[in-house]
Amino acid sequence: MSSDTTSASFEQLALPLLPSLYSHAFWLCRNHAEAEDLVQETLSKALRAFDSFQTGTNFKAWVFRILRNTFLTSRTGIAASRTVFLEDHPDLLGTTDAGPTPEDHLISLNNQAAVNQALDQLHPPLREVLLLCDVEELKYKDIALVLDVPIGTVMSRISRARRTLHQLLQPQRGESL
Amino acid sequence: MTQTTQATGHLDPDLLNAFIDGELSPTESNGIQQHLADCHPCALRVLSATQLKTATARAARRFAAPPEALARLAAQLRPQESKRTARSYSFRSVAWAGLAAALVLALSLGGWWQAHQANTLSAELLDQHLATLSSGASPEVLSTDRHTVKPWFQGKLPFSFNLPDVLPADTTLKGGNLAYLNGQPAALLLFTIHKHEVSVFLTQRSGSPIATPLPGTRSGFSIHSATTHDLRIVAVSDVNPADLDLLVSAIEQTQSPR
Ligand SMILES: [Zn+2]
Repeated sequence: MSSDTTSASFEQLALPLLPSLYSHAFWLCRNHAEAEDLVQETLSKALRAFDSFQTGTNFKAWVFRILRNTFLTSRTGIAASRTVFLEDHPDLLGTTDAGPTPEDHLISLNNQAAVNQALDQLHPPLREVLLLCDVEELKYKDIALVLDVPIGTVMSRISRARRTLHQLLQPQRGESL
Repeated sequence: MTQTTQATGHLDPDLLNAFIDGELSPTESNGIQQHLADCHPCALRVLSATQLKTATARAARRFAAPPEALARLAAQLRPQESKRTARSYSFRSVAWAGLAAALVLALSLGGWWQAHQANTLSAELLDQHLATLSSGASPEVLSTDRHTVKPWFQGKLPFSFNLPDVLPADTTLKGGNLAYLNGQPAALLLFTIHKHEVSVFLTQRSGSPIATPLPGTRSGFSIHSATTHDLRIVAVSDVNPADLDLLVSAIEQTQSPR
């Protein structure tokens, strides 16, 4: 195909994703200038690799995977990945969940500020999987593609992430018992 | 039912998540819905999990992309602007050029000058304004020091101005450039307020026939103007209007009293 066709359809596919890519990049970098640089580099890489994108598969997952890999090889990403992104801390990412007790339901979600804070506190790999699921609304199989992990790992991380959010949103009552 | 519930007879956490995330087949979903109809604790858990999912999305969307960042990124996608030359610009220059493009877009969408100064700010001058920002790359004078920025303009403009000794909180001078606004040479001062980029144009008031205040907000950008005895000050940014006002006031007040 001609390169014009390639870039036109790449633009068509990528343009609607810019707000999502930026927002997700911001969560990875926690810095506006870096987030923009990251998206810029992601777009440039994605355009160059666009030939390898298979029509019919999920473009969003494909480009989010490039975003993530670009982040992990960036200076900020390399620093972060040593500690949090690549190593699967068994205690943090494992599947040792007990089922929630009935008290776990009694969290206060009418306080958005508390939810904001809880999301900020969440361990980055757990937050990442939740953002892909709850914000970007990717299917588990696409999240598995972005994160390059098996779908079972996606499910256990989502489970763990939500459980941790629940715990962070619990009133302090639990500790005094 | 054994497939959809754990040993306790209630929903397994993974299954509950898969249910609220829409990952289950219609048959599986039906099975869960039947259980929820009879099991109050599980129905409560599903409700709570759904609310948490919504609240998480809301919490995550706090950090939306600034409009000018999106404009820059969108410009990168357009084939004619993603040429190799564009890549050779420094990041900051691309940023400022994109800001200019975003401004032009915002302003033309808003059409504010059509209302107030229809014929004075011609497309040609607009192009000049854009060229100033994009071709010259980074601000001609790149400095956070007003003692460097102010003298740079001397001899380049037919007027002079003062810069405040003290800027409002979290406001930083980034540099300056020459620009054209409303057919006049202008000093373009670049600031950031809370990391939002701000362009402040200073032009000579005597040469400008229009004194009507500009509208406050267009397409997500705030436009604030003020006039002193000699100068017209126009500031544009996507920062919140109150902070932009503080900067405009600070610049206004530091000009020599009439
Ligand atoms: Zn139940």
